[in-house]
Amino acid sequence: METENLEKEIARKSAIVYLAITAIMALLFFVITGLMGTYPMVARIGGVMWISLLTLIVSMPLVISYMKKKVKGTKRN
Amino acid sequence: MTKLEDQRSISFPVQGMTCASCVSHVENALMELPGVSDVVVNLGTNKASLSFDPTLASITDFQHAISDAGYSVPTQETNLHVSGMTCASCVDHVERALNELPGVTGATVNLGLEKARVQYIPEVVTASQMKRAVRDVGYEAVEQDTAVDNLDRERKVREDEIRRQGRNLIIAGTIGVLVMIGTFYDMLGPFQSIVPKFLSYKWVLGLLTTPIVFGPGRQFFVNSWRGLKHGVTDMNLLYATGIGASYGIAVINTLFPNAGFGGEGATFFESAALLTAFIVLGRWLEALTRGRTSEAIRKLMKLQPKVANIIRNGHEISIPADEVETGDLIAVRPGESIPVDGLVQDGYSAVDESMLTGESLPVEKKAGDPVIGGTINKTGAFKFVATKVGKDSALAQIIKLVEDAQASKAPIQKLADWVAGHFILGVHLLAVLVFIFWFFIGYDLFFDAGSRFILSPFALGDIGVFGFSLLLSVTVLVISCPCAVGLATPSAMMTGTGKAAEFGVLFKGAEAIEKASKIQTIVFDKTGTLTKGEPSVTDIVTNPDDNVPDKSQQMKIVRFTAIAEQNSEHPLGEAIVRGANTNDLDLSAPEWFNSIPGHGVEAKIEGISVLVGNRKLMSERSIDFRALMSQAEKLETEGKTVMFVALDGQPAGLIAVADTLKETSVEAIRRLRQMKLETVMITGDNRRTAEAIARQVGIDQVLAEVLPQDKAEEVKKLQALGKRVAMVGDGVNDAPALAQAEVGIAIGSGTDVAKETGDVILIKSDLNDVIVALEVARATMNKVKQNLFWAFIYNTLGIPLAAGFLYPALRLVVSPEVASAFMAISSVSVTLNTLLLKGFSPSTQRKGKNTGQGTVTANQFSASTTSSD
Repeated sequence: METENLEKEIARKSAIVYLAITAIMALLFFVITGLMGTYPMVARIGGVMWISLLTLIVSMPLVISYMKKKVKGTKRN
Repeated sequence: MTKLEDQRSISFPVQGMTCASCVSHVENALMELPGVSDVVVNLGTNKASLSFDPTLASITDFQHAISDAGYSVPTQETNLHVSGMTCASCVDHVERALNELPGVTGATVNLGLEKARVQYIPEVVTASQMKRAVRDVGYEAVEQDTAVDNLDRERKVREDEIRRQGRNLIIAGTIGVLVMIGTFYDMLGPFQSIVPKFLSYKWVLGLLTTPIVFGPGRQFFVNSWRGLKHGVTDMNLLYATGIGASYGIAVINTLFPNAGFGGEGATFFESAALLTAFIVLGRWLEALTRGRTSEAIRKLMKLQPKVANIIRNGHEISIPADEVETGDLIAVRPGESIPVDGLVQDGYSAVDESMLTGESLPVEKKAGDPVIGGTINKTGAFKFVATKVGKDSALAQIIKLVEDAQASKAPIQKLADWVAGHFILGVHLLAVLVFIFWFFIGYDLFFDAGSRFILSPFALGDIGVFGFSLLLSVTVLVISCPCAVGLATPSAMMTGTGKAAEFGVLFKGAEAIEKASKIQTIVFDKTGTLTKGEPSVTDIVTNPDDNVPDKSQQMKIVRFTAIAEQNSEHPLGEAIVRGANTNDLDLSAPEWFNSIPGHGVEAKIEGISVLVGNRKLMSERSIDFRALMSQAEKLETEGKTVMFVALDGQPAGLIAVADTLKETSVEAIRRLRQMKLETVMITGDNRRTAEAIARQVGIDQVLAEVLPQDKAEEVKKLQALGKRVAMVGDGVNDAPALAQAEVGIAIGSGTDVAKETGDVILIKSDLNDVIVALEVARATMNKVKQNLFWAFIYNTLGIPLAAGFLYPALRLVVSPEVASAFMAISSVSVTLNTLLLKGFSPSTQRKGKNTGQGTVTANQFSASTTSSD
């Protein structure tokens, strides 16, 4: 039960972080392509989707394992 | 501050406690740990119970504390069959999931065997918790033991996987070919007339591709999502993103051609379809390979007989072989398998032991000889008494040893797994960078609508910036997949250990194979390893002054000496009696016998006074041996012990006795030197004797006058010179030296392999098996290196190509389906390359054994006798 709660806490905290990173990357991509002014909207949206997907894939495992260490470490101290 | 509800209670066994003070030691050791309270240690039940804060202390801490206090927490081992693993990173995930469980002290996962070997503390963690942990990270686990039934179950699971992937391959392959034909419709030339035009319509291609992506391709999406939820990435993720992106863009461009994603010119349905087909092909091949590489264990397990004919109360009854008990009398007829280990009580036969010892010729069995369960009786019938049954039997021990070896991990594999595990994240990161580069910079600078796909007649056409960047990004994902890496090392290791077992050579682990392949110096213990370990008659010299035929005089000397020595327990005397028996000499009882301690014996035989002993004895009795003295000295220089024989007070001759070389020693050393290995002999003998033996056998270096307890030190000295040393010796007596060497090879252990120390165990006492061990190790490691080369070469060459490094110069792009074909070729290369190892045959088998070259054996002594004539 205790372990389950701990896991849930890790999952929740991780999700906040990796979704935030993904959103930031997507927003950054969208803003930059908008500022450059040469890209059609479809390419910008497609790019946002692809960057979001890859960022999510890259950040999820990194953030989750970081959170596992951090949360367990905090509990320990 | 820890809340009370955060505390956990635990109870676990403690070993080694004998009294109340032990209880106090253990309690104190545990109490000193942070976060631990309510410690109660019970001597009666040998258990410790406590409450603890899991964030401050763990079961591993308790184990260490108890161990530091001089006691131990006993652990058990269980095997889980884990299905659903596809790559090296899966191995990492399962290992981590198991190792994170409190109570698990170690977990090793073998991808090839689909097996997790878990050491755990009973009562702290259960098998069901382990299975749940494995399932939580996206795989399936079932308990496994070594019973044949379980083997069948494991085989069934494997067959189901082969069948499942085969079915997926048929679906993806068949429809994929249709999609390819439709895609290339315009290029079919004369074949266009036999292909319906509608097959080339984009929406038809979409309809055909959809069942591939959501049928055979579904597994990749499901598995990758399961892993991602737990923060783990594996090969499935690469496949899922590759297939998903190709399919998604193709659907958008078909349904909304003006959306700006490249339009109809960028519908990659064939990419999605063929990508799936090739990946499934790789999976199917992997499933096939795994089944084949663990064939060695299956073969050994199949040897276990099902039925035993035991004799109870004078009647023969058939019972299941696993119900045989030690002491049962068992009858074996020609052609039957021997059900358990035992000792022949009655009868005579020849038994084929090749399946366990690698010995090609049937071995004769008579009363008193041992028989091994699982071997096959060839000619006669006999009865034997069971001595070892169940897990103590030789076959069970061998199976366990081979299983353990196959489940272990070589250092090179640990490195490959680590690389593969981190590779996937790196590849996704690379895909982001490739996309960003081509989206923001590359497309504007280099894009050319006339660019073509490699190995395809198609031009890219008017593809937009997003479509082009996505295409390169997806191709990088697909081409980078190191899917063959996970199989490269374990498949070769499994085949290598299995192959070695066929020849009676048992490696205790993958690390032993890796180390054995790098050996530079090989140290042999002399007695019992290079030599037979028991003295035998080597030379008989007759007195030239006797005017009798040489041969008959030799036999007379041996016979009289043997009769005189019959009652002696001296090893030299026993050697002469053995020699006489071998030559069928009639040994009657002496009329009179007297032992002269430290010098020899005297006896009256058939009215003749016989005196046998050393030089001093002859001198004391004033018997003049001057005529034979030069011969005596020559024999002594050769390291032999010379016995002087006088008949009726006259010098009759000399008998030389020595510990003779094994039949195969000279040939084995010659082959080892051919393999560029330095050979060293270590012995307690004096230098002269040792050097004489070394000369005969062809050893490079002699370490003489070394006490048994100093052998390990001598090995250490060689290692200090920077040499990688293997030690060959008796697994019991030479244990410290075997442990000190990089590779300890225990020779001639017979089939009681569990008792042996050493990294490699040779069932037979044949030195040629040392060569077999080293050759198998070298061949296996070569195969591992080749496999790793084939697993990585396509990725290494393909990534720059897929990322578009050469695009500015060549205007060529790799299509995702070509990338997936590369990946499948990588798996095929590794699979085929590993299968080549199955045909491996050691040089000792290829060229035939050269027995007896340069050796002298006890039963040949009459042919090698010398005379002073």
